[in-house]
Amino acid sequence: MTKISVVRSVLKANDAVAEVNRKRLEAAGILVLNITSAPGSGKTALLERTIPALAPGLRSAVVVGDLQTTRDAERLGGLAVEVAQINTEGGCHLQATQVADALDTLALKDLDLLFIENVGNMVCPASYDLGEHLRVVLLSVPEGPDKVAKYPTIFQPADVILINKMDLAGLLEFSDEIVRADLARINTRAPLFKVSARTGEGLEAWYDWLRVQHRARFGS
Amino acid sequence: MHEMSIAEDLMRQLEELAIENAIARVESVTVRAGVLAGIVPEALDMAFACLAEGTVAEGAELHLEIEPALAECRRCGHRFEPEIDAYLCERCGVADVTILQGRDIILSSVSCEQRGNGDDEDQRGP
Repeated sequence: MTKISVVRSVLKANDAVAEVNRKRLEAAGILVLNITSAPGSGKTALLERTIPALAPGLRSAVVVGDLQTTRDAERLGGLAVEVAQINTEGGCHLQATQVADALDTLALKDLDLLFIENVGNMVCPASYDLGEHLRVVLLSVPEGPDKVAKYPTIFQPADVILINKMDLAGLLEFSDEIVRADLARINTRAPLFKVSARTGEGLEAWYDWLRVQHRARFGS
Repeated sequence: MHEMSIAEDLMRQLEELAIENAIARVESVTVRAGVLAGIVPEALDMAFACLAEGTVAEGAELHLEIEPALAECRRCGHRFEPEIDAYLCERCGVADVTILQGRDIILSSVSCEQRGNGDDEDQRGP
């Protein structure tokens, strides 16, 4: 019996592809955002609002991951933007290779922003770098105020956090006090925006943040 | 349940290692995972056992060692061991850290039988 000692990163294959994705998109002047949330928090609805609001100043495309169906891609396709749908067929998160394949189908030279809508899941996507510049995490009012405390590993690396469906806050007696208190010990860096993708409430601050992030990285 | 894709990557690494080192059979595998990697040991065990079937690692034992995390405050540079749900820097009072350690999953050692050691059926003469 022989014991072989090694140091090999198990996720190195993914991380290497993620780095290639990042370089490729950076060279094209595209800011990449990896959006994660629980299923049904409103990732697609947020993009349906955001993408037209930023155009034509910032031109967007979407890579969207789901276990099954092309329904999100069909919704977003209505915006006349390029959408690449990935079906993970049971996989609980996107991986960098899937994004790399999706990039081949997009006209990168005509883009400023790429939104990667991850599979709805607050655990697994935390471990997979896709080549993004920034991580967006969404929670929504009907989910209750405990998401940050329950899923710290997704909120800790977040660059921006949105509470969606604020139009329901009164009805559901939702208060963001607990969210803020939990973030105070998990992530004080990410700005917190309270929005409603349905009514449009609060979205200007999110749009401004996106414009600032793009300008900070790529100028003008 | 990302343990299945972690196990897939682990098997890929093992197969490479098996070729490089002429491994005939893997007895056990040691993996070091950071506490923030979010691995459920039982789920990884099961995924690994399934994927190892029919390979040099069939029946191999998987030892998982969980390592603590290390965070660095982006504001003041202070390094400390965070809890999975607490990243507050005790020096400057903000929770704004870079995780230096604790997310990694590392294949660290493999106990195995190698071909050409004289204890292998491939060594039978003509």
